[in-house]
Amino acid sequence: MSDALLSPKHLEIQKKARDFAREYIMPVAKELDATGEYPWDIWKRIVDMGWGCMIAPEEYGGPGLDAVSVGLVTEEFAYACLGVMTAVGSNNLSSYPVLLGGQKEVQEKYFKDLLAGKIAAFALTEPGAGCDAAACTTTAEKVGDEYILNGTKCFCTGGGVADYLIIFAVTNPDNRKNKLSCFLVEADRPGVTVGSVENKLGVRASNTTEIILKDVRIPAINLLGNEGEGFKMAMKTLDKARPNVAAQAIGGAQRALDEAKEYVKNRIDANGRPLAKNQFVQFKLADMGMKLEGARQLVRHCQVLKDLEIPYTMTAAMAKALSTDVCVEVACDAVEIMGYYGYSKDSIVEKVMRDAKIQQIYEGTNEVQRIVISGQMLRS
Amino acid sequence: MSYTLTEEQQLIQQNVREFAEEYVLEHTTEIDTSGEFPTEIVGQAAEQGLFALLFPEEFGGVEAGFLSYILTVEEISRTCAALGSIIVNHCSLAAEAINRFGSKEQKEQYLPAMCAGETIGAFALNEFCADPGYGESKVVAVREGQDYVLNGKKYFVMNGGAAGVYVVFALTDPENVEKGMSAFLIEAETPGFSVARTIEKMGLNGCPTVEIVLENVKVLASNLLGKENEGMKIVQTLQPMFKLALAAQTLGIAQSALENSIEYAKQRVQFGRPIGKFPAIQSMIAEMAANIHIGRLALYDAAEMVEKGEEEYEVKASMVQLFVNKIGQKTCLDAIQVHGGYGYSQEMLVSRLLRDVKGTIAIDSASEFPEKIIAQNIMGL
Repeated sequence: MSDALLSPKHLEIQKKARDFAREYIMPVAKELDATGEYPWDIWKRIVDMGWGCMIAPEEYGGPGLDAVSVGLVTEEFAYACLGVMTAVGSNNLSSYPVLLGGQKEVQEKYFKDLLAGKIAAFALTEPGAGCDAAACTTTAEKVGDEYILNGTKCFCTGGGVADYLIIFAVTNPDNRKNKLSCFLVEADRPGVTVGSVENKLGVRASNTTEIILKDVRIPAINLLGNEGEGFKMAMKTLDKARPNVAAQAIGGAQRALDEAKEYVKNRIDANGRPLAKNQFVQFKLADMGMKLEGARQLVRHCQVLKDLEIPYTMTAAMAKALSTDVCVEVACDAVEIMGYYGYSKDSIVEKVMRDAKIQQIYEGTNEVQRIVISGQMLRS
Repeated sequence: MSYTLTEEQQLIQQNVREFAEEYVLEHTTEIDTSGEFPTEIVGQAAEQGLFALLFPEEFGGVEAGFLSYILTVEEISRTCAALGSIIVNHCSLAAEAINRFGSKEQKEQYLPAMCAGETIGAFALNEFCADPGYGESKVVAVREGQDYVLNGKKYFVMNGGAAGVYVVFALTDPENVEKGMSAFLIEAETPGFSVARTIEKMGLNGCPTVEIVLENVKVLASNLLGKENEGMKIVQTLQPMFKLALAAQTLGIAQSALENSIEYAKQRVQFGRPIGKFPAIQSMIAEMAANIHIGRLALYDAAEMVEKGEEEYEVKASMVQLFVNKIGQKTCLDAIQVHGGYGYSQEMLVSRLLRDVKGTIAIDSASEFPEKIIAQNIMGL
């Protein structure tokens, strides 16, 4: 679905997101990359717009954006800065488990808080449990009406700034299939500490940390879903979040392509002609554009399937892997076309390239996506 | 590998590897983080003779041959690509320009100190051609009696700031960009010559890169390198060898990416076994190893042609560049992928390797597309 086919409602959201991103995110992206500071000012403005949690249901006062809308906003924010979008995206990712398995009163408070500017972070990965998410060793022991959590999570996006944490922990160690459960943990509970902060190659406006849990007591009502459903919840969450990461990659790739286009029009080569007149460059740009447009169509198609509640697991995995692969390729090509200027921090594309790489890794590496895709294919 | 390196070449390769591991390795993180020119290590490298390999004995060189130089650049870059860049910009560009085009006096004046690493050379060719105000910032040299007066701005000058002597390209015939460019030897202290700012870049930190401003810089006609309007010829002569040196850097970095990936894939356990046992990881590692092997054979082959003075080295250099650029980038991207989330951390070497390799690939954008050179050569069109 190209922009020309978007509904007036979607076009309006796209415009609102674009105007916002160009005005408030784009001008500070380089600085945020250099300092690695959390984009609090931008975050406050997003909250004021009512987008603190884009998927918060309308019944809780949220915008309840559909998948196409979330994708459009994500594309625009990512176009301006993949780091900022990564930071902002954690509230969407973390909210799926709450929507899937939170009790009504938990949901109510959680979404009210997020819409008021609180931040949630999704903590699944552990040092020994990356692609093998079921290998988690963080434990949750039920004592009376409470659970007591112990363990260490890593690579938690938003970990250092979060008010809420979605924690996956072992409740049934003997049940290989159903050993994990999912919990909502308020970050200010005693025993929750933020460990080391990652110094990352890119998406530096987002905050990535270790989360250490030591005898953290939470009420049983904070269990999301049933005991033993943790792994299933994690997989369902990632399933739902994939179209968003995919949209983000489209935004990043579009930025790299636009920067390269602008550059070749102005750059005069040794023969005194604009680089844009060179067919090697023209074909390279055409290839970048083709890959990007193909990926964009798959991503938006996937969002529509999601909105129509048509099964989209395989499509989402394809969209995530394809669009993030394309984003890295296009960003690398943009740097190459722009040469020493592209390699310098005077340009923005070197940042887009650094930012892009994480998308092939987080929320399920692209190897995991290929496992999902082939698994779905071979099942039928 | 069984490519027939001579005993002498093998010895140089081994010595440089040992030097890099013993003296350079422990400083690489600091060099990357600070971005400062590693004066002390450059001094040690020069003591090892690493700046003298390409040059004649009569000017302080050791004439070790081009392939030995390539092996050196590869080994150094495997440990520290920034030091590789310092050496390549110094040797393959600045000193080589003087060696090939300088007068006897110029060679005597500069080469011994450059071979000894006492004077660092820089090559000021690039300009910021996409700047809307580019017309005014072009470097132009106007003849005034016995002098030339230079004005303008140079962009992305590597080794800038650290260098004692710069090969500066300026238009002596501003109407003719292609045939009206000349090269001048300009010392850093020359009045009117200044470093305007350091240019931050993605990687190769430690090989400082700057913008240079020339404001009524007056130099004697004897500072002209080669003949007037011979600038493009100088650039074109040096380019194939520069490309090969960049390819050696790229392959050195890629080799490090491969070694790190192998190590990590053997020790990282997921799903109850080392990830190196999964075909998904094996594909990446196998492709890296195969590509590096093939790239290296092509590089050494081309380097030997340069050494023997065989004519086709120019087209071979572009073939090497075309192939090695693709696989160098792929190797470093995949190395991060093998490392997963850990690979994305700045504390992990593989993330630096990607930042560095993109430089050895992207910074040669001043030259023609390798595809064009290859195609024109083999078709005779």
